[in-house]
Amino acid sequence: MTTFETPTPTVDPAKTAETPKLHGLLAEFETPGDVLKAAEKVREAGYRWWDCCTPFPVHGLDGAMGIKPTILPVMVFFAGFTGLMTAFILQAFTNSSGMSVWALVWVTGYPYLISGKPLLSIPAFIPVMFELTILFSALTCVFGMFGMNGLPRLYHPLLANDRFRRVTDDRFYIVIEARDPKFFQSRTEAFLDSIGAVAVEEVED
Amino acid sequence: MSSVHVAAPDLSEGNVRLGTAAMTVQQGAGLVGLIGLVASTVIGLGGMFGVTPTFFMKSWTQNYLFVLSISLGALFFVFIQHLTRAGWSTTVRRPAEVIAANLKWAWVGLIPFALLWLSGGGHAEGGDHAHAHGGWGPGALFPWADLEAMKAHHPDEYKVVKAKTAYLNSTFFWIRAVVYVTFWGIASTWFLRTSMAQDATGDVRITQRMQKMAAPTAILFGITITFAAFDWIMSLSPAWFSTMFGVYFFCGCCTCGFATMIIAVLRIQSMGRLQGVVNREHYQDLGKLLFAFGMVFWAYIGFSQYMLIWYANIPEETGWFLARQIGGWGTVSFVLLFGHFVVPFVALISKWTKRMSWYLTGAAVWMLFFGWFDLYWLVMPVIPEDAMTAKTYMEVVEANADEPTHLFNPLNFTMLAGVGGTFLWMTIRRMRQTTLLAVRDPRLHEGLAFENQ
Repeated sequence: MTTFETPTPTVDPAKTAETPKLHGLLAEFETPGDVLKAAEKVREAGYRWWDCCTPFPVHGLDGAMGIKPTILPVMVFFAGFTGLMTAFILQAFTNSSGMSVWALVWVTGYPYLISGKPLLSIPAFIPVMFELTILFSALTCVFGMFGMNGLPRLYHPLLANDRFRRVTDDRFYIVIEARDPKFFQSRTEAFLDSIGAVAVEEVED
Repeated sequence: MSSVHVAAPDLSEGNVRLGTAAMTVQQGAGLVGLIGLVASTVIGLGGMFGVTPTFFMKSWTQNYLFVLSISLGALFFVFIQHLTRAGWSTTVRRPAEVIAANLKWAWVGLIPFALLWLSGGGHAEGGDHAHAHGGWGPGALFPWADLEAMKAHHPDEYKVVKAKTAYLNSTFFWIRAVVYVTFWGIASTWFLRTSMAQDATGDVRITQRMQKMAAPTAILFGITITFAAFDWIMSLSPAWFSTMFGVYFFCGCCTCGFATMIIAVLRIQSMGRLQGVVNREHYQDLGKLLFAFGMVFWAYIGFSQYMLIWYANIPEETGWFLARQIGGWGTVSFVLLFGHFVVPFVALISKWTKRMSWYLTGAAVWMLFFGWFDLYWLVMPVIPEDAMTAKTYMEVVEANADEPTHLFNPLNFTMLAGVGGTFLWMTIRRMRQTTLLAVRDPRLHEGLAFENQ
């Protein structure tokens, strides 16, 4: 019966609550112009693990942050091309070849003459080719976007922060994460103050 | 550029008026147009280079429809921006309004049609072979306008066309034609004038009025171009029918209209006008429109039309496509497919391609050419007479293996130079009379600060 006894904690739980892990520093800005200028300076200072949070898309912010264009369109293009070829090969094989291939079981093509059309009629195949192109592209686009953004993510340290709640209303934020190699709490805090933040606050993990 | 960093744009006269900048182009275009029209008339009336009255009239129809579709595409652009209350397009809307306003003169294109009716009277004397094959008269262009000749020479087709006379008769044809050109002329002139009135007053109510008028204009535009396409292109092969034809012509209008707009705006900018007003964000959106309507939607509609007819395989429907597969037309059809869709689709799919002015100009010129080429493909081929009676497909293909396309006939060049040059002269002339920018549009600041993403 002692098998299920709770093991003695090696760290005092009360102590851990007092010194939580630091997620990063949250800096608040009052206007989109301020956050834009600040973002340029953060980029120039060489930080890598940081982000801007704004109530609406701020034009030019991507450029100011130095965000590189995403690779997603390239992925979508090749996914679309894969869909196109999949549809063509599938139809050409099933409708117009007598070949047998092994796909988990042996599958044999079944050439079947439909209303006197040639067995390999591209016009008849195009609707399916079109549809699979769209399907593969769309799925790659959506799930590629999810994957590259680390979604779905149900919790983020910022969501527990009271100051951060105004991000959906009228305030603009820059968050520099503690895992950034250039992050040094006192220095980063001073830096954020110097680039026009109206308030700088620690965010706990 | 960000919305908070936008500097006040230069709205001085020097930046928003053409002034004397394009004078040489205008004069050159006018001269080329005049020479082209005179040369075409000489070739056509003299029957040089094997030009028959039918070929001459078809060439006129094709080139008239070409410049018409440029203006119709621009008109579509204008009212769709008001309909959606778009802010981004305020910087490029005026050139579209000016190009669309050429529709005021759309009725001029009907004069050669009217001359046909006046010259021929619409009826052939019995047994007059020369009349139906090579003479002047409405039957030279529209076979349904000369039913007697059709009865004598194409009895199978006659049976089908006879049932359509309630719609395809000279009186109703002319009533419709007048309605189309009147509506286009009034609508496009109204949008240009109203927008210019705002340049003076900056009144927000003017924008509201244009938005209100955009909806009925859209409805009437859809109806008129659909029936114009039926009347002026589809009825060239009167036994044939396709309910999708109007949409196909609409795609052609978008191709030519958007391509011309892109070229116009980029040329205006290269003359040092609209500096700091139109930027690559606007190019990208214009490019997107050209990509979506001119390539993707065109191919979608074109294929939808083709596949249903191909699959059903009914003789009176397939004849029209058969005419575009025999002899040299097979090659033309493939060039059209690749030139109007496959090549530009790949070339213009990426974001960066639409943001580089030289690249986008090239794509727009390419698409404008294929807009013209598409109309050639629509207007010129003649359904082979044995299409409905032949036993097999190959029988028709072999019998018409040397069907010529006349693509390199000098008349094509002179007619394009004549009609296109006149159109260009007209457009630049009108552009000179207006500002190049709706300077006091209430949404202009949105357009100036516009950014994709």
